[in-house]
Amino acid sequence: MRIGFPRALYYFDHFPFWAGFFHSLGIELVTSPATHRQIMEQGLKKASDETCLPLKLLAGHIQALKDVDWIFLPRIVSVETDTYTCPKFLGIPESLLTAVPQGMPVLTVTMNWRMGRRQVLKDLEGLGLKLGKGSPDVRMAFNEGIEWQKRYQDTMGAGWNFEDGIREIERAAKDLRESDKVPTPVTWKEQMFAKMSSTALKPTDELPIVDQNEDRLRIALVGHSYLIHESYANLNLLRKLREKAKVDLVQNVNQEEVETNLSGLRKKLFWSHSKQIFGAGNKFAEDQRVDGIIYLTCFGCGTDSMVQELVSRRAREQHKPYMVVTLDEHSGEAGLVTRLEAFLDMIERRRGHEGYVSTYGECLDRDSNAL
Amino acid sequence: MKVTFPHMGNAWIVIQTLFESLNVDVVVPPFNSKRTLNLGTKLSPESACLPLKLNLGNYLEAANAGADTIVITGGIGPCRFGYYGEVERQILWDAGYNYEVVTLEPPDGSLAGLAKRIRFLAGRKNSWAKILKAMRFAYLKSVALDRVEDLIHAARPRLSHPLYTEKLYESAKQRLAQTMTEKGVQDAVRWVQETIRERQEGLNSMNEGSNKPLRIGIVGEIYTILDPFSSVGIEEELGRLGVEVDRSIYLSGWVGSHIFRGIAPGYRSIRSYPRHAKPFLPHFVGGHGLETVGAAVKFAREGYDGIIQIFPLSCMPEIVAASVLPKVQETYKIPIMTLIVDEHTGHAGIQTRLEAYVDLLERPRLLRESIQTREGVLGVGG
Repeated sequence: MRIGFPRALYYFDHFPFWAGFFHSLGIELVTSPATHRQIMEQGLKKASDETCLPLKLLAGHIQALKDVDWIFLPRIVSVETDTYTCPKFLGIPESLLTAVPQGMPVLTVTMNWRMGRRQVLKDLEGLGLKLGKGSPDVRMAFNEGIEWQKRYQDTMGAGWNFEDGIREIERAAKDLRESDKVPTPVTWKEQMFAKMSSTALKPTDELPIVDQNEDRLRIALVGHSYLIHESYANLNLLRKLREKAKVDLVQNVNQEEVETNLSGLRKKLFWSHSKQIFGAGNKFAEDQRVDGIIYLTCFGCGTDSMVQELVSRRAREQHKPYMVVTLDEHSGEAGLVTRLEAFLDMIERRRGHEGYVSTYGECLDRDSNAL
Repeated sequence: MKVTFPHMGNAWIVIQTLFESLNVDVVVPPFNSKRTLNLGTKLSPESACLPLKLNLGNYLEAANAGADTIVITGGIGPCRFGYYGEVERQILWDAGYNYEVVTLEPPDGSLAGLAKRIRFLAGRKNSWAKILKAMRFAYLKSVALDRVEDLIHAARPRLSHPLYTEKLYESAKQRLAQTMTEKGVQDAVRWVQETIRERQEGLNSMNEGSNKPLRIGIVGEIYTILDPFSSVGIEEELGRLGVEVDRSIYLSGWVGSHIFRGIAPGYRSIRSYPRHAKPFLPHFVGGHGLETVGAAVKFAREGYDGIIQIFPLSCMPEIVAASVLPKVQETYKIPIMTLIVDEHTGHAGIQTRLEAYVDLLERPRLLRESIQTREGVLGVGG
């Protein structure tokens, strides 16, 4: 049995869990290819006009899944207690059924961690039933998934590279058939962990290593994982930025640090991604070593419309250079490059001239006069 | 302390009543207008939804009247509205307004925290019994208001002079706003009922056999369907076009489920909607997305001629609902139109679309009456 997993949206956060889960059940998980033009165009055709870019991409990826028995579209309501995901996640799969090719069955399950582990397990058992797996198998698979996810998250250090990390997971998930044929002494899991830890220890990747150069700018890139790591949609922003500066990502900030940086809010943020974005953004704003913050968002993102406002306020309080990049399906590369260069130039100049900054914006808020 | 609150259609009557019966100084902000929206838009994040922009405009205008405390309800999402209070507080602070913002919700689920907030608003003099009594009375008023609104919905297409109906509506609202007794509330509703009946009797003798009006159900995001300014007066407009309007959510229904947690059902309960929505959307999506789908199904089953969905640009739950509604349209063969509003929405644009839509609904009916036509050709969905 082959289950199709679209390479979009929750793929960027939860793929390791599902890879582990289905691997343990002995089901092959097929991911759609990396986003390319045709996928995006297909998505734009089938998704509703008003929805946001990531969902349109998901619609495209659903159509790009070929030769699979099911398409897997989980409804991820919540990933921890006290928070939700975005409302558009809650509407999956119903809101995307138009994008599913005719006759292709959709496999779904509700993941609601607000209700506790027991409920999640119960829902997963329901899923297992559909696939003809008993509840002991599902429980084992669940633990496996959790472990994969945890391992994956543990590797997310400063020098971490999403693509390398996820590639290991995909390779491990694909090992299924081979390991069936040849029982290797080293289990897939050990293989995977060995590879992962080695990538984590390696001083980051093939990029031109200028790390010794202390003058390198340090830029924090803030935003949803499914935008930051979606290199087609964001026009390779992350790589472009890495060529010119050291980049800090929201995804590299661990949970405890996020929690300690949520101060100054009278009400807890109730979206899990936003909580992470705000907590990490706040940390970056206060961190003197960070030279500037770029907030990557997409047109029509509801949670970002609020959180971006909060983060920008923090950045302004700290006099941290701050730029918002809004993506949509019409984003042009030249425009992005120009803005990026201008932003980096400005930061470099600011470094050289220290406090001599343009007076523009002095009266925009209460704190500006305290420069 | 002078308390103010954001506008949402007729909600001001209820909120004003609540605070006045507790002897709390309350500032009703000037009604939503172009000016309100302009003021609010300047301060708001550009991609925030329309209600936030109007709210901020309300606060700025209320500040001129001396208000220093804002009351707003909350919730834990995942709709953006739940976070309005905090974002608005920070925006106003930066803009130089020292507003105190009180969000009426149990903070982190603690009822004691909610009680403390209510106590802060009501002051020391009011006993809990008095507070509860005031809440009950305000609730009764909201139910009465909804009844009046429903009567007006029915009266608009049937009475001959549109202006007369609007005048009646205005004076009914005024009566309800002023009265502070239960009897006064009942009288106001009865008065509207009587007046409409009298007018209709006068009419019936003149033009007998007038057509049964078209019926359109309005569904969508609560603020835009309750607040005529943000929906560019869609209900009035439809009434003038000879359409009887009903809507998915009424104020008291929302108050009943959102604030009283379903203890009081309100004039029109919203409880049945999830059941109706189940075949199309089995899970809540925050805000009133599920209710929108459920109400659309309910309207379709009740034989309405059309359904209009309204929501502010980028509203997350309604976008989910909007992508499910085509299925409803196909299943029940009922035309559904979606209107998205924001600060650039123009009156003429909406009016044109409404006229075209009503024409579309009327045509098969007229054809059916005059000659036998190829039925189904004009049906929706092929």
